[in-house]
Amino acid sequence: MAHLDDASYNSMVKAVWQATALMAIVTVFEVAFALVHFWYLQDSLPKIYVHVVMIVATLIKAFFIIAEFMHLKYEKRPLIMSLGLPLIFLVWALIALSVEGNYWLKIIH
Amino acid sequence: MAELLEQQVVSEHLDLPAPNNKEGGEISPTGASYGKTMMWYFLLSDVFTFSGFLIAYGALRISHKWWPDPNMVFNGMPFLHGVEVPLGFVTIMTTILILSSVFVVRAVQEGHRMNKKGVAIWMSLGILGGVAFLGCQAWEWSHLIHDGMTPFYNVYHAGPNGETLKLTLAEKANTPVSPGPVLFGGSFFGITGFHGFHVFIGVILNTICLIQTLTGVYERRGHYEMVEKFGLYWHFVDLVWVFVFLFFYLF
Repeated sequence: MAHLDDASYNSMVKAVWQATALMAIVTVFEVAFALVHFWYLQDSLPKIYVHVVMIVATLIKAFFIIAEFMHLKYEKRPLIMSLGLPLIFLVWALIALSVEGNYWLKIIH
Repeated sequence: MAELLEQQVVSEHLDLPAPNNKEGGEISPTGASYGKTMMWYFLLSDVFTFSGFLIAYGALRISHKWWPDPNMVFNGMPFLHGVEVPLGFVTIMTTILILSSVFVVRAVQEGHRMNKKGVAIWMSLGILGGVAFLGCQAWEWSHLIHDGMTPFYNVYHAGPNGETLKLTLAEKANTPVSPGPVLFGGSFFGITGFHGFHVFIGVILNTICLIQTLTGVYERRGHYEMVEKFGLYWHFVDLVWVFVFLFFYLF
């Protein structure tokens, strides 16, 4: 394992605290948005818009955890690809089961 | 050249024959040691386990016409009895887990500098965060169970205008069939429980890591890569929580 010099150590530490600050901001925004919607906008803003905002915010947080905290951004391409490409199956599962769930809703009611 | 040297260090550590570039095959295509690569693939398999749970929960939830509003369910706060703080407590839990993850990143970075004391301090803080998170989860679970929620009974049900109402324990005694979607309790306890189990395992692994750091195992080994492997698992636990937070508290 390569041992670090001071300059790259300092920049790594800085990158991690920056990612932390960003994740804190995103989390505070998520909760604040949920509460503002709950208290003031329930009648005017359909829930689907809230969902979309929350999904985007969550994906931003997930990216920072994987890229910075788990250090995947700095790994070799074959590792990144072999971990990332299988996730395509999840996209399929998500779409297929959402469609199926809607079908269940229709046949039940 | 540097890469070949690094490979040699890894090979020595794994007790493998020294790399020979002419024949090929000994250089890892992932650029990481065997242990770290396998930790990544284990985490990938765990991604599929959690995704299976969460996607099934999503499909079943879509099939319900009505679902309790999380802002009305998760509004308890320790020491503030009777005060409603929607999403307050779970925001504290999320902050604790993310911070704990950051502490472990710092432990990994100190490991790169062979700083034994730094690794020990940051890893201890990480473990503390994990234990605090588990304590919070225990409080939240017992709070819900105290209110009459079980995996088979949901006290939160739809009012006339689709608002979220709650049965008291006395009303629950007179209502044998669950008035709200039963899946709400089942999926909540099941999936947050499975996540909490991962946190529990992570705390044990991190404690092993701390003990090995303090006894100088990694110092003698010449590198702190084990901290990285345990760290990967710990960040994964944090990653899963981000999605559990989304689907159970923000949706």
